[in-house]
Amino acid sequence: MDANKLYDVIIVGAGPAALSAAIYTTREDIDTLLFERGVPGGLAAVTDWVDNYPGFPDGLSGLDLADGLRKQAERFGAVIELGEVTAIKDMGDHKVLETTSGDVKTRSVLLATGSDYKKIGVPGEQEYYARGVHYCATCDGAFYRDKRIVVVGGGNSAVQEAMFLTRFASHIDLLVRSDHFRASDVLQKDLQKHADKITVHFNTTTDEIVAEDGKTVSKVVGTDKTTGQKVEFETNGVFVFVGLEPNTQLLKETPVRLDEIGFILTDEHLQTSMPGVFAAGDVRSGATMQIASATGEGATAALKLREYLEGQNHPVQN
Amino acid sequence: MAKNITIFTTNTCAYCVQVKKWLTTKGLTYEEVNLDQHPERQAEALEISGAYTVPVTVVTKQDDSKEVIVGFNLAKLAPAVVA
Repeated sequence: MDANKLYDVIIVGAGPAALSAAIYTTREDIDTLLFERGVPGGLAAVTDWVDNYPGFPDGLSGLDLADGLRKQAERFGAVIELGEVTAIKDMGDHKVLETTSGDVKTRSVLLATGSDYKKIGVPGEQEYYARGVHYCATCDGAFYRDKRIVVVGGGNSAVQEAMFLTRFASHIDLLVRSDHFRASDVLQKDLQKHADKITVHFNTTTDEIVAEDGKTVSKVVGTDKTTGQKVEFETNGVFVFVGLEPNTQLLKETPVRLDEIGFILTDEHLQTSMPGVFAAGDVRSGATMQIASATGEGATAALKLREYLEGQNHPVQN
Repeated sequence: MAKNITIFTTNTCAYCVQVKKWLTTKGLTYEEVNLDQHPERQAEALEISGAYTVPVTVVTKQDDSKEVIVGFNLAKLAPAVVA
């Protein structure tokens, strides 16, 4: 990162939307810097297997997809700075981003900060984080060889990651609050192949994660909504996949408008309510939370950023 | 500068890749303990970190004191390897 330089665009995040946008901008010699606080590839990188990304008939690992996107963007000159953007200030004809690496100037911004897995907010969840409560199966699953696991959730991630965890666990209880899955039909069919290891409990809430010795998770207490009775599941660990929440903390002091859930509102050009600041991918209101959609939005955002930059008549001096 | 660096990893952990890549860009060498290949060392990783997760990076400093960094946490990792 060069603090004395005025970048054409700074992309906040380095997930699929961000890296796709960077491929487009850098190929057109638009001076681009990306900021990533975690791992390039975002949630895609920690997803076990991606079966629905076009062009890969046999599917591929999330890690390989993320690595390919990163390498492709870097081939055209994209630079990924490891650090966090903490604030965006509008200086009229340019923006100043406050980051953990210092302040940096840019003519435009693409917010592609993605989302993180939601917490369920029950007793025990925070206390036993990483000591029995997890949000990343590919990172932490190996610690549960021949042990019992509870997976919470009924969407694509919960079903996909529960199947991944069968390679380690002796048994998995999958707790679904609703009376049906939100996961795709294809994943539900795949899940049936694991019936020997995964037991699905519909209409079951997760109310508390308990460590009877105060150290090691030993059970999950829930409620069977059909009877109102308390139910208990003996377990060594709990993996939570109950949806996503947007990463928009850095926008607190900005005029960027969010929807009622906290996702970023944009116009049809993917521009936010702050001129020169665009958004793409999972963090955008209306996003479909698919990797293929995110990469498409990243490409669209890059083209809209180019139009914006071409329309800027008063660039500041470096 | 660190005297020795050991990283506990698994095959599927994206954050492990990121830690290794970052250390390599800094010109630092490390010993990797892959828990998929060496599940018998899982208890060791757990005892060191107190957490059922990877990556766990153990930085041994010049005075032989050790610093343990759980996850990909540059705010802790960067000062630990230069101290």
